[in-house]
Amino acid sequence: MSSPKRSDEPVWWALFSAGGVCFAVFLPGSILALGILWPLGLLNSSVLQYAQLLSLLQSGYGLTGLAFTGAVICLPLFHAAHRIHHGLHDLKCGYSSATKLLCYGLAAALSMLALYLTLHLILAD
Amino acid sequence: MTDYQLLIQRYDPEHDNEPRLQRFTVPGDHTTSVLDALLYVQQKRDVTLGLRWSCRMAICGSCGVMVNGIPKLGCKTFLRDYHSDITIEPLAHFAVEKDLIVDMTQFLAHLSAIKPYLINDYSGTALHKQTPTQLAKYQQFSNCINCGLCYSACPQFGLNPEFLGPAAITLAQRYNLDSRDNGKAARMPQLNGKNGAWGCTFVGFCSDVCPKQLDPAAAVNQAKVESAKDFIISMFKP
Repeated sequence: MSSPKRSDEPVWWALFSAGGVCFAVFLPGSILALGILWPLGLLNSSVLQYAQLLSLLQSGYGLTGLAFTGAVICLPLFHAAHRIHHGLHDLKCGYSSATKLLCYGLAAALSMLALYLTLHLILAD
Repeated sequence: MTDYQLLIQRYDPEHDNEPRLQRFTVPGDHTTSVLDALLYVQQKRDVTLGLRWSCRMAICGSCGVMVNGIPKLGCKTFLRDYHSDITIEPLAHFAVEKDLIVDMTQFLAHLSAIKPYLINDYSGTALHKQTPTQLAKYQQFSNCINCGLCYSACPQFGLNPEFLGPAAITLAQRYNLDSRDNGKAARMPQLNGKNGAWGCTFVGFCSDVCPKQLDPAAAVNQAKVESAKDFIISMFKP
């Protein structure tokens, strides 16, 4: 057997792994706090005031906000994109470099949008 | 003695257009293995039944078959654990030569592709010394009997026969982790390719069916980490 071409999979696998950790560690807490407890009125409303949240996101020169977006939106997006891409292979359903571009491209585009909106919010005032 | 109903897949490429299931009634007790039952059929019912076997004690890895759709060693699987028809077919994902005999050529090619032997420039006659800690690093992965059950369990090998597969990648890890070996650089190109460690999507069924509890899925994931490290190092090399 000749030497096969090196796969670029380590890049996507690293993003997938990091996204998996974020999915398991940060998302459940965020969903519980922002998606369940807050709408049900079980959180002290002063905790989630706009001004207070904004100052939290802006702390550390805005890195806290960017890190939160990265951990809760960007990396999980790449995790999901990787799963969908390989799921297409398992289902024998259009697995190709085009679907690879579509999956990771969508994850990258949505990540950029999320980071842009976060940055916009942080720099707003 | 209890009567067990066996449905055995028969296929003779010289006479049959396609495989068919043939029913046999086999007497057995709580010690009768699937291999015992197959040998009973061959010796008492139909001498033309083709099967591969040798040691009868889960060492040789020859008697792998699908039992009710799960890859098993015939000698390590007992009729007492089944209460209705027992369907016995050749190992999945391999080409069938005759009845329960499959063509293992590709499997063996994958094993040899990862250079499964000690590679070093040592030419002395003194014994290699190895501490128990150094041995423990690879010992688990060295117990493979090359039965091929993990390839029958692996959906990725089923979809893509070019995928090196669980046993070959486990064997690569076995030698890469051996303190007496310096051949990692020669093995990594195979693992780094899309048909190497990256062909795996961590289904994990290989580890479920392994009759030696090697945990090939763990070896493959370790190989992914090694390949990712190799990828990063390669970026800094001219």
